[in-house]
Amino acid sequence: MAAFDYRQAAEVRDVFQRHGVRYLFIGKSGAILLGFPDTTQDADLFVEKTPENGRSVVTALRELGFALSDSEASEIERGKDFVQLRNGPFDLDLIFAPDGIEGFGAAWGRHLEVEGFPVCHLDDIIASKAATNRQKDRESLPRLQAFRQYWLAKRRT
Amino acid sequence: MERMDCVPIDQMESVNIDRDLLAEFEAAARRPLDVRMRYAFIHTYKPVLDDARFRAFGTMADYRKWCQDNLPEWLGYGRV
Repeated sequence: MAAFDYRQAAEVRDVFQRHGVRYLFIGKSGAILLGFPDTTQDADLFVEKTPENGRSVVTALRELGFALSDSEASEIERGKDFVQLRNGPFDLDLIFAPDGIEGFGAAWGRHLEVEGFPVCHLDDIIASKAATNRQKDRESLPRLQAFRQYWLAKRRT
Repeated sequence: MERMDCVPIDQMESVNIDRDLLAEFEAAARRPLDVRMRYAFIHTYKPVLDDARFRAFGTMADYRKWCQDNLPEWLGYGRV
């Protein structure tokens, strides 16, 4: 499988928008959209956990080429906290309740838009990574926090 | 929603960041998003994690525990 690229991200953006999906890019993929130079392997989406949004996500994912069985679709619609998809044109993680963020509404209120991509604020991305307390996140946090300092300074001027 | 604005580095307030990192951030800021993404997203096989086409976890705690119990330690998904 090829790596996630701009064209696929744009497809996600356009198809999700057409189906009215409420979501935000989060994790390192979100940070990369904000300008963070680093590497990652998949895209992470923070999806609002409502039945209606769950149904919209399923419709959008099927249109994007994800082969979801009815039982898999049902699990997404019910809003499991974390769904890992390896059954489509690219790897995708759906996160309905990321650690360290109080809720989708709050994150949406702080979010940014980059070329039409809705992205979590860098502070939410960092808070989420810090709260997971995984080895791989711990290793990336100092670099991410340095980028935050740069990013905030650049936005202030 | 906020919008991102970019300004040249010489107009920035002074920031206390390692010089090499700062140069890296500046270089990235000069690249268009599609190029940044081409450099950023890579794909390598991750044992166990990539061996199922679909997984769903009821809670994040369930997911974290599954990672802790099932993934090789070197992947870095274990909690510290």
